[in-house]
Parts: sequence; structure tokens; C-alpha cells
Amino acid sequence: MQRETEGGRGWSKTVKGGQGWLRVLRRILGAPDYQAYLEHCRAGHVPALSEREYVAQFFEAKGKGVRCC
Amino acid sequence: MNRLAALLGWGGIAALGAAAFGVLALSRGETVNAAWLLTAAVCTYAVGYRFYSRFLAARVFGLDDRRATPAERYNNGRDFVPTNKWVLYGHHFAAIAGAGPLVGPVLAAQFGFLPGTLWLVIGVVLGGAVQDFTILCCSLRRNGKSLGQMAKEEVNPAAGAMAMLAVLFIMIILLAVLALIVVNALKASPWGLFTIACTIPIALLMGWWMKVWRPGRVGEASVAGGALLLLALVGGGYVASHPALATIFTHRGIALTGMMVAYGFVASVLPVWMLLCPRDYLSTFLKITTILALAVAILIILPPLKMPALTPFATLGEGPVFAGKLFPFAFITIACGAVSGFHALVASGTTPKMIARESDARFIGYGGMLMESFVGVMAMIAACTLDPGIYFAMNTTPAALAQASQVLGQAGFVVTPDVMGELASRMGETTLIARSGGAPSLAVGMAQIFASATSVLGGTRLTALWYHFAIMFEALFILTTIDTGTRVGRFMLQEIVGHVWPRFGETSWYPSVIAASAVVVAGWGYFLYQGVVDPLGGINSLWPLFGISNQLLAAVALCVGTTILIKMGRQRFAWVTVAPLAWLVTVTMTAGWQKVFSADPRLGFLAHAASLAGSSNPDAGRLIFNDRLNTFVALLFMSVVTVLIGTSLREWWLVLSGRKRAETHEAPYVERAYAAGD
Repeated sequence: MQRETEGGRGWSKTVKGGQGWLRVLRRILGAPDYQAYLEHCRAGHVPALSEREYVAQFFEAKGKGVRCC
Repeated sequence: MNRLAALLGWGGIAALGAAAFGVLALSRGETVNAAWLLTAAVCTYAVGYRFYSRFLAARVFGLDDRRATPAERYNNGRDFVPTNKWVLYGHHFAAIAGAGPLVGPVLAAQFGFLPGTLWLVIGVVLGGAVQDFTILCCSLRRNGKSLGQMAKEEVNPAAGAMAMLAVLFIMIILLAVLALIVVNALKASPWGLFTIACTIPIALLMGWWMKVWRPGRVGEASVAGGALLLLALVGGGYVASHPALATIFTHRGIALTGMMVAYGFVASVLPVWMLLCPRDYLSTFLKITTILALAVAILIILPPLKMPALTPFATLGEGPVFAGKLFPFAFITIACGAVSGFHALVASGTTPKMIARESDARFIGYGGMLMESFVGVMAMIAACTLDPGIYFAMNTTPAALAQASQVLGQAGFVVTPDVMGELASRMGETTLIARSGGAPSLAVGMAQIFASATSVLGGTRLTALWYHFAIMFEALFILTTIDTGTRVGRFMLQEIVGHVWPRFGETSWYPSVIAASAVVVAGWGYFLYQGVVDPLGGINSLWPLFGISNQLLAAVALCVGTTILIKMGRQRFAWVTVAPLAWLVTVTMTAGWQKVFSADPRLGFLAHAASLAGSSNPDAGRLIFNDRLNTFVALLFMSVVTVLIGTSLREWWLVLSGRKRAETHEAPYVERAYAAGD
């Protein structure tokens, strides 16, 4: 499942279905994606944050990014 | 057979591009269609991407898809995430493109369409895209380290500290000039101010939606926010036509300055999810859709360019929009779009942490910058579709216009007050004279393009709506740069002071948050205020200062890139970064020198100060102080970069002469877990 975000086969898989398109749009916009995060945690066998905690941390990290002129 | 087809195909594209350049360069007197400009640009990008970026990726940097990227090694599902290259392209483009590539070309249109276009197209292929790609590759091989960290490790610690200081100063000038553009676009414009003011409650609502009410539902919140934004746009028209409401939203520049400063401070202090993130989503969304729509609209109508290829100001150097001759000022005015140092911060920030495989860096770093240049070319087209008389009347203050009136008259760039009045009422504004800063003239150009592209829908009647849509589009993402910029400046200041006083460096300690935000806001607020009250319009002195600082940051990035190339043992390819570096240093140092020491009071800060000495002008004291301050800022930028280049040169010499071992701080090679071709 980790390949969901990968190039190649992951791309065609992502494109399948309307959900996939929404996911692509969300990624371009830089929005949090809790489902993908859960999949990542499951694959790596690491404990996952709750959705609220994840969203809070995601926005905090996003606030440190630079926007260009 | 395939080789032959490729040879013929690429030969054809190159020939077509060359022919388009020929048409542009040889046009004299007759109007040229924008199609030629688009063809020349797109063919050059195609050839540059196919051949030059491939050479850079394969031969110079030796990108290797078997090597694991930081996104794979440190995948944490948040900032380090392997991301599809098309998705990341969109994401990276949204982070690098802002108001710069739109405003710079509009201002440089003062020289005619040719110089700016040539610089945009050639500069990006050989300079800007190379810089972005180089820094992206360097950071990619160093676990996504920032430009400052790379300067510190690869050049020396002093270079790192100086690069950081340069970034902070540049940020302050950048924020001031961007805020000035918004102030000039919104003053005496109730429609514009109402729409932009509405974005604040809309963003607060979106923030509450996606953080508290339905955590993470950015899509829903953005759709709701977008709908409310369109409502605010239409509502602005009603406000402007209602005398009592219009008065509430009609303000002069000084009042707007206060509002901008207050906004910047609040946005920097509040939690990011409340205001900053939702605004960012709205502006990213609007940015991508509007740029695509503009490209489609230009392709549909293929407008003729009314501005000549070259105007008399290219050689006279007495232009009313900004002073100085074509060399070096065309190359300073257009920074973003051709070469932008700021991109090095993005290319060594979020993007390298998301690249799935090394070879994607070519498409994202080099290709992303080509798209930004294309945005610059579209802005140039939009500005040059305006009648030159209208262009100059909009972009200059009455004082500057009076100085240039003779040349303008001889060139036929004149316009009657009636024409300007009619244009203003068509755009739903009270006046469009002296709306300098580039945003209003770009908006008029865009409004005319959009209106004629949608004329089958009765689009010409919607011109005023399109004008305010374009203003909203520009103001929205300038404000996004202002709030994120103030915040990033605050973090930097906290980090710098934190070296001496650790408590201050805690980014969540409120006294430090408030103090650092106030200092950053006061810094850009001061330059903004001076720009607003400047009789020559402010853009005149602030924009060149911004261009110089941005290009000098690019020189810093190219110095770091060259050092890394030499330490990688690729010194025979070092010319790929040394050539643009040499050019940038030449233009910025010449421009900086002229801005400080030119004997012409319209150009040189010191000459301007001397011309005011002893005058009866009540503001003389303040203006003289500002000239001296601008002198100090320009000299500071120039000396920081001179020192940085000096230390880099020394490092190159030590390594190349074998006096020092070539050691880079590249992360060790780790094999990629996924099969090749996956």
C-alpha cells in the first residue's frame, strides 16, 4: 500500500476511481491525508496519531514552509 | 529510423523557435501577434528541457534511480513522503510562483516587449532553471538540508551565517515591496478592498471547519471558501455602487498601510491553522486555475501586442516606471520568472523531502521553473496588449510622468484623460491613473483578455468583474506571501537571537513570538510606509532594491552549487553554474553601483539626496534619510555577497590546487527498496 504515493504503477492505481482523483488534488493543494498516513503507519508497524493530532501536527509543519514571491 | 525522426522533429522545433524569435526581433512599426512570443518561448523551453536538463541530470549530477531519496529513507507520512512526480510538480510550482513573475515583466514592459521576453526565456533555460535544479539535487543528496545549512557545511560556517542574514534582509525588502503593490491596487478601490477584506473571515471560517469541526476536510472547506470568495467578488460590485458602503471601504494608502501591518502581525502570531493555512489553500487553488485559464484565453484570442519591441527608454534610461537603462535594469526588474534566488529556499525546503526518485528532480526542479517563466511571458503579453499610452499613465505618478512627458510625446505614447476615465469606469474603478506597482495594469490586460475570450457569453459586459477577479487573484497570493514570509522571518530572527539567548529561540514562547513578529513587521512596515508616501511612487526605488537582493540570493545559491560540484569532482562541468553566476554578479553589482553612486538624481540614491539638500520641500529631511537608508541596504547586500563569493573562490582554489581534500557532506549511498522501473 505504501506505493500509493509512488511513481509508475502507483500513479495508475491512484487515478482509478474518483477517490483517487480527490487524493491527487488534495496532494497538489498540500492538504493532510489521514488515510495515507494510517497506511504508512500500518506498513511500518509504528503507532499512529489520532486524526486530530495528525491534522494539528500537519498544519504546524506546513506553517514553517516558505511561499515564494 | 527513430533517431532520424527525432532529429527531424527536434530540428523542426528549434527552427520554428528561431523563426519566431526572428519575427519578434525584426518587427518594426507593425504590431506583432502574441502567438510569435508564445511560439518562441515554448520552443526554447522544449529544446532546453530535452537537451540541456538531460545533460545536467545525467552527466553533471549523475542522478541515479537506484539510490534511495530522503523521502524513502525518512518516510514519516508527513513531511517526508515519496510523492508522484506530477503531483509534486503542481505542489512545487504552487510554492515557487507568486506575484514576482507577474509584476516584474509588467514593469519591464517599459523597455518594450523584446528585452524582457528574451531575458525571461533565455535566462530561465541557462540560469533560473539551472539554479533551482542544482539546489534541489544538492539538497536531495543531503537529506533535504536547507540552503543555509549547505552553505555552512560545504563552504564554511561564516558563509552559512551570512547566507542566513542575507535571506532575512531580503525577506524584509520583499515583503515591503509586495505589500506596496497591494496597497497601490486597493487604494480608493472599495470593490477591491471589500473583496480582499472578506477573505479574512472566509479564511477563519475555513480554518475552524478543517481543524475543529471536521478535522482534515480541506477539500470541503476549500469548496465552501471558494464559493464565498466568488460571492464576495460579486458583492464588491454592489458595495462600490452604494455610496454609503463605498465610503466605508474607500481608503488612502496610509490607512491601508496600517491595515497591512496589523494583518501581518496578527497572522504571524495566531496559530497557523486559523488564518495562514486556509488562506494558502484558497490562493493555491486560485493561482493554478487562473494561470491555466489565462493560458487558454491567450491561446483562444491570440491578441496583438500594442507595445513596440523596444521603446526609447531602453537606451535613454529615463523611464517613468523605473529609472535606468536596459542594461542592467531589465535584468534586475525581472528577477522571478528568469532567475529567482528565493526558489533556492523552496528547492532546499519542502520539495526535496518529497521526491520519490532522483531522476524526478529534473522534471520538478528544471521543469517547474520553466513553467514559472511561462507565467512571466503571459504577464508580459497581458501588459503589452495595453495601449502604450494607457500603460504609462497607469504605471507612473504624475511627478514621474511630467519628467518623461517629452519622450512619451515623441514616441506617441500619450492618452487623453477622457480615454482613461472611460477605461476606469469600464473596470468599475474611479480612476486608473498612477496606479503603479504593476498589479492594476496586469489586471486591466487580463480583464480584456478574459472578457474577449468569453465574449460569446456576453463577456465584454463582465469586464469590471474580470478586473476585480484579477486584482483579487494577485492580492490574495501576495497576502499569502506576506503572512508566511512574516512568519518565516520571525522564525529566523528567533533562531538568530536564540544563539545568544536560548529562551528567545523557543518558537512557542509567547513573549518571544510577539517581540520577533513585531520586529519583522516593523522592518517591512517602515519600508512600506516610506514607499506609500514617496512622491515618485515607491516602486521606483523599492522594486530595483528587491530585484538586486533576489538576484544576489541567486548568486549565493549558485556559489554553493558550484562549490558542491567542484567537491564532487565535477569541476569540468562547473561552468553550468559559474556562467549564470558571473552574469548575475555583473548585472547586480552594476545595478547596485548605479543605484547608489549614479550622478543622475532620478537613478542614484546619493545624487537624489544631494539634490534635495537645502530645498524648501518640507519632506526633504525624511527623503534624504530614506535615500541614505536605501544606500546602506544596497551596499550591505553587495558586501555580504562579495564576501561570500570571496570565501567560495578561496574554497574552490584550495580544493582545485590540491591543498584541501575534496570532502562533501553528501548522505551515504543507500539502495532503493523498490525495484527499478516501479
